[in-house]
Amino acid sequence: MPAREGTYGLLAEFDTPSDLVRAARQARQDGWRRLDCYTPYPVEEAAEAIGFHRNKVPLLTLIGGLMGLAAMFSLETWVSVLAYPLNIGGRPTYSWPAFIVPAYEWTILFAGLSAAFGMLALNRLPTLYHPLFNAPNFRNGATTDKFFLCLEALDPKFDLVETKNYLTSFQPVSVVEVEY
Amino acid sequence: MAHENHANTLPADLSAPAFVNGWKTRALAIGLVFSIIAAALAVADKSIDHVLRAWLLGLMLTFGFSVGGLALLMVQYCTGGKWGLLLRRPLEAMSRTLPLVFVYWLVIAFSLKKLYLWAAVTDVDAALKSGWINEVQAHAIEFKRPMLNPEAFILVSLFCFAVWAFYTWRLNSLGLQRDAASPETTPRWIKQFENISGPGVVIYALTMTAAVIYWVMSLDPTWYSSVYGLLFLVGQGYLVLALGIIVSISLSKAEPFKTLLRQTEQHDLGKFTFAFVMLNIYLAFSQFLIIWSGNLPEEIPWYLDRIRGNWGIIITLDFIFHWLIPFTLLLSRDLKRNKKRLILVCQWMVFAKAFDLFWLIEPNFKDAARNLHFSWGILEYAAVPAAMTAFWVAFFCTRLQTRPLVQTNDPHVAEILEPEHANA
Repeated sequence: MPAREGTYGLLAEFDTPSDLVRAARQARQDGWRRLDCYTPYPVEEAAEAIGFHRNKVPLLTLIGGLMGLAAMFSLETWVSVLAYPLNIGGRPTYSWPAFIVPAYEWTILFAGLSAAFGMLALNRLPTLYHPLFNAPNFRNGATTDKFFLCLEALDPKFDLVETKNYLTSFQPVSVVEVEY
Repeated sequence: MAHENHANTLPADLSAPAFVNGWKTRALAIGLVFSIIAAALAVADKSIDHVLRAWLLGLMLTFGFSVGGLALLMVQYCTGGKWGLLLRRPLEAMSRTLPLVFVYWLVIAFSLKKLYLWAAVTDVDAALKSGWINEVQAHAIEFKRPMLNPEAFILVSLFCFAVWAFYTWRLNSLGLQRDAASPETTPRWIKQFENISGPGVVIYALTMTAAVIYWVMSLDPTWYSSVYGLLFLVGQGYLVLALGIIVSISLSKAEPFKTLLRQTEQHDLGKFTFAFVMLNIYLAFSQFLIIWSGNLPEEIPWYLDRIRGNWGIIITLDFIFHWLIPFTLLLSRDLKRNKKRLILVCQWMVFAKAFDLFWLIEPNFKDAARNLHFSWGILEYAAVPAAMTAFWVAFFCTRLQTRPLVQTNDPHVAEILEPEHANA
């Protein structure tokens, strides 16, 4: 794939989460769809403001958990009933109460791993390159104390001059153009 | 830079909304109706045995609300957190219902011989000869006599009530003084409440264990379980959190809770309740697994009494009601953030706890062990606790109305008034 060229988007920097949320909410209301917020810690209202939609992580977690449960319970049943039927204290070979604990542990383990790796896969992580890191203020602030709103060039409403003026109307600290 | 103040303002009137009076009247009416039903059932059954057994269930339920409320009050003073500020006054009101729980307990204290085998059997040899009790029971009753006798029952219970009354009085009276004091004293108050509550939680765990051993576990004098107190402790967390959510969501139809109950804290309480649902089944199942694995004749009959003779249906339903339903529902993030649905789950949890207590209490008696059967009396388990809980709710409402619904001398007040994204 040839490298993309041109403008990735316009990046506005804010000092407080409230300013970011207000700007993001307005942009979404004005019809922007290719936009994203970047904050140093999770700001749930920012996600809601840009039309946070459901992802598949909960479903992946549920499927993973059920798979773990089924896998371990079947393994234990197979070992105790078919492969190595042992008489333990006169109990039946299919003694399900004893199977619960490992099956439960595998449910948690599989659900946890599915959640973590499913999240990474759906995030398309690890990503080795992202154009936003070309902006010096983003590099320095996004993980410490700055709040960013990026309107992306892929949005049909995007126009370098007009969009820049539009973002300036939210009174951000700065608006910079980001190249691919 | 646009720096506006987005914070909500604390409503001027912090007292309980007028509709709490409506709750009170409704609760009294329900209590009255169920009392009449309970009396009618006793007549139909021609005995008050089941009334007393169901009374014990009602006592354990309201005791869970009241003294469990005190325990959670102490826990939140130690941990802090905005959910704690939200529940503080409702929990205080729950703890101040202790006098009613004491009155409920008096009924049990005056009918020991009807409920407890160890109290009814005064002459072990004669009882053994007449076939009333078996050898195992005879041995257990004789061996445990220093602990299981009416005097010890009364003294230990009175001591426990005194301890709980002391903590209730101390935390409630200081709670009012704290609000009257000036804001610069806040750090001192926080420290003082921590210092009272920290040891209080430990002392509570010990006294509560003693109380449930006497009140419930000793119904079967032959059996013992070292996790029993903890099981009830966690059960109270389960019950009180469910009730706390019911109360705060119901109050949020009007000020001040309309402003104070944010989605964040509601979600937090839902998560907290979910943790207790998990811990509850964890303890209940580990007790079962250990006894099942051991398979010893001293321990296993307790479970057999509760599984054989159709009790298997009840224990299966108990598992579904008590764990499976709340667990699967509370997994959902949307449900925890939805007032209507969360309140339904919490109401279900209160019912499930009562159902669990039924499974714990009824099979202790000779006529019911390994033999689940219908009698008019068994319906008392629905009628009596319903009446007792309804009267408790009415009393709780009066307690709720005596104070403002929020403690104002606390740094969390400013935080809870902020918009949610500022500290998400």
